[in-house]
Amino acid sequence: MNNEQSFFEYLQNSPPIIELVWLMISIFLLSIFISIIYLKYLRSHLRNNERIRGTYQMKYELNLITYLYSGNEDQEISPQQQIIINKLKKDLSDPFKRSIIVLTLLKLKNEISGELDESIQKLYFQTGLINFAISKLRSKKWYVVAKGVRELTQFHIKEVHDEVITLINHPKNEVRKEMQLYLVNLFSFKGLDFLDLLQTPLSEWDQIQLLEVLQRFDDQQVFDIKPWLKSSNDTVVIFALKLADIYIQFQAKEDLIELLAHKNEKIRIELLNVLGNLNIIVAKSIVMSNFSECSQEEQIAFFKMMEKMPESDDEPFLLEYIHHENFEIKLSALKNLKMINSSTFNIHKHLGTDPDFIRIVEFLEHN
Amino acid sequence: MSELQKIVLAEDNSLLSSLLKFRLEKEGYKLLIADNGKKAIELIEEHKPELILTDIMMPFISGLEVISHVRYKLNMLTPIIVFSAAGQEEIVLKAFNLGATDFMSKPFSPNELVIRIKRLLR
Repeated sequence: MNNEQSFFEYLQNSPPIIELVWLMISIFLLSIFISIIYLKYLRSHLRNNERIRGTYQMKYELNLITYLYSGNEDQEISPQQQIIINKLKKDLSDPFKRSIIVLTLLKLKNEISGELDESIQKLYFQTGLINFAISKLRSKKWYVVAKGVRELTQFHIKEVHDEVITLINHPKNEVRKEMQLYLVNLFSFKGLDFLDLLQTPLSEWDQIQLLEVLQRFDDQQVFDIKPWLKSSNDTVVIFALKLADIYIQFQAKEDLIELLAHKNEKIRIELLNVLGNLNIIVAKSIVMSNFSECSQEEQIAFFKMMEKMPESDDEPFLLEYIHHENFEIKLSALKNLKMINSSTFNIHKHLGTDPDFIRIVEFLEHN
Repeated sequence: MSELQKIVLAEDNSLLSSLLKFRLEKEGYKLLIADNGKKAIELIEEHKPELILTDIMMPFISGLEVISHVRYKLNMLTPIIVFSAAGQEEIVLKAFNLGATDFMSKPFSPNELVIRIKRLLR
């Protein structure tokens, strides 16, 4: 009591700054106390949730296994299967239970194929889960739309193609990405038709994901990439160049050459790499005729392209650049020269005094 | 009455394990389930099964370690079927080098698995 009194007296007699410090300490301690209480509540809530989730999961797993093994050949749906469908249907109105049911179906769908996979697919339709996924496509919240598209992809629902494609130019990148993955996962190279209509950028990561999906298909027959090479969307052109490179689209040679005059430098640089990989030799003379107007990045890309298709006719051109101020150009010119005519290289290797030139010559002689 | 042939299944997907247990027990096998590699090794040592089914990616001890333990520590010739996912081709090759008998790529058909098991245990 005396202590409390003396503490308050001390506070009253203290300067304002000390009072403020004590006030802040009190607020700080109170907020720590409230946070501890809240975290304890949150932890018990999450654990409880996890426990309930586990219980439902076990229940739905059992239902699913019973469903899968209670079919008979005489009927499309056996009476026992119908009972399970009805039970699941009842639980669908609760979003928590519905999400567990979807996760349970996916847990098995990703692991098995054949008849049982078809049965899971059938169950997805019969319980009406598909309708919930389709209704998500009309949600105003972008993340709900994205989740809906992803679910339709995971369950391979091709029937909603026309609804999904309407999201092609959705303002949110996450939605567009899910839409693109839906099309490519379910329709393979034919799914790339969305590129005809795409107005928004296709990020590097989106492109990698699409290519990763495409390489899983056994049928590696790429559709006509020419319209995409002419797209007004530069990211579509870059993606088409990647397709041309990976799937060796030599038949698009004329359209690729036309792209040498494209206004976007990044496309022209990427193009030079592809032309080199496809060994389109005619592109060399076109670039050479316009070489001085190219940016330094393009010039470097061009020399790298020349390394992929060396020809003896390149010699006079290369000799012009073996003393170029740029290290990479100089290196590439000398490397090319050594490849196409080692005697000319041996003559010119002594004609340089620049330290970089000497280092490059030494390197090339030992490699 | 002859004793049931025992199969140890090492698989961390509980639903797939239950499904295979249901299917294989219907075919007349006794299935012992482990949800990780460590438990699988314990079951193998204790029950000396006629066949082992193992996923490659598992918690604690991987499928590769299970194969290695069976072949080089226990010196058992028990057939081993490995489950792999797409893109794990290199790991499957390692599994064969360690002594796996067969492999199935996920997603796989349980009916096909039953056929392979019957062939191996004939």
